[in-house]
Amino acid sequence: MQLSANLSSRLDSLTLAILALGTLGVVVGFFMAMSSPPDQSQGYVARIFHMHVPTAWMAYLASFAALFYSVAYLVRRRAHFDRVAAATVEVGLIFMALALLSGMLWAKPTWGVYWDWEPRLTTTAILFAIYVGYVVVRGAIEDPELRAKAAAGVAILGSINVPISYMSVKWWRSLHQTQSIDLTTGKIMVDASILVPMLVNLAALTLLFVGLVRFRSIIAAREAAREEV
Amino acid sequence: MQRILWLAWRDLVLEFRGRTGLFSVVFFLVVMLFVLALAFGPAPQELRKAAPGVLWVALAFAGSLLAGRAFGLEVEDSTLDDLLLLPGSREWIYFGKLLFQLVLLLGVGLVLLVLAGGLFHLPLQPWGWYVLVLLLGSLGYAAITTFYAAMLARLRGREVLLPLLVFPLVIPVVLAAMRFTQSLAEGVPVGEVLDWLRLLLVFDAIYVTAAAMLFPHVLEG
Repeated sequence: MQLSANLSSRLDSLTLAILALGTLGVVVGFFMAMSSPPDQSQGYVARIFHMHVPTAWMAYLASFAALFYSVAYLVRRRAHFDRVAAATVEVGLIFMALALLSGMLWAKPTWGVYWDWEPRLTTTAILFAIYVGYVVVRGAIEDPELRAKAAAGVAILGSINVPISYMSVKWWRSLHQTQSIDLTTGKIMVDASILVPMLVNLAALTLLFVGLVRFRSIIAAREAAREEV
Repeated sequence: MQRILWLAWRDLVLEFRGRTGLFSVVFFLVVMLFVLALAFGPAPQELRKAAPGVLWVALAFAGSLLAGRAFGLEVEDSTLDDLLLLPGSREWIYFGKLLFQLVLLLGVGLVLLVLAGGLFHLPLQPWGWYVLVLLLGSLGYAAITTFYAAMLARLRGREVLLPLLVFPLVIPVVLAAMRFTQSLAEGVPVGEVLDWLRLLLVFDAIYVTAAAMLFPHVLEG
């Protein structure tokens, strides 16, 4: 037990390499995005997409990872899984906030409003609220075992809720009102000059995500080891 | 099965003997409806339009206020450990508390429905459908609040934490139940809006099952 705690709390060179590569990738991706040609209908505003789409994907990836590790914790009861689940949620929250923010900055010049109660936006906001709850619950419980169990419960119930609320919000909007704003999101994905920087950013952010989760888990493992002593 | 009924019955008896909790919740909701009715103005049309939303949001508040009741007494009298010590699996504790919550919420919901009929001019004519949607909606609320109340029973800040955790999760219930109620109030034929009831049913089934399965894992001990 003590040995495994020591092993998982060591900052290994793989984590550092992933973090460094990810950071480099984000810088490269940023320059590629900034030098991409303006979109025909949206102009330079479309550059926000190079940032927005990858962060949103990472946010969803984080929620899947959190579900996976929470279930793994409840089945196997290894503290390591709990720490990784918590790390994915915390890092995922940052990406989710970035995705929401960049989306709002894009929406204002394009749709004319910062926020629209469209299914995707609404469910993302709900997911954000669920994970804020997750972090708050973790902060409120001191007993490590109870904290891990409660957090896993929140994460699992929360991620079951996302598809359900996606459907309900979708029906909620589509049964009655016609959509007042046309969503032109599908149009942008065609051109290679836009696709390439987006993919570079996606790869860079994936690396950053993995690196940050590993880093955060290592910190959590060290904290846990210190609490034990 | 018998255990579930006994647990729910015992909690209900204790709740009604204690009185203060339930009555203060009902009174809070009455005041809330009154203030909201004042805020929406005197026009009956406006009030009727707002009624379903007010009704279901009020019930959501009631749900999170009453959620603490389910395990509050167990913690105060430190009988939670006794319950956990009983042989057999622990799902029945969840179902017993769920039944208790459901009965409380249904009672509060019926009071609210009658009040909304009076204060907000909500036509309560096809009352069977109203009761059905109230039942399914309350079950959805209760399934979630019972689970979280058990998990947070021994924490100090649970009064604040509970709504924070519960409200994002009950959004589908609020949306579906509200839309169905609204259609009833507008006189839309029930056959056209049955999808909302189906969504509620699916939600209830998924959440009761998931919460019952997670419950033994999450509860202390």
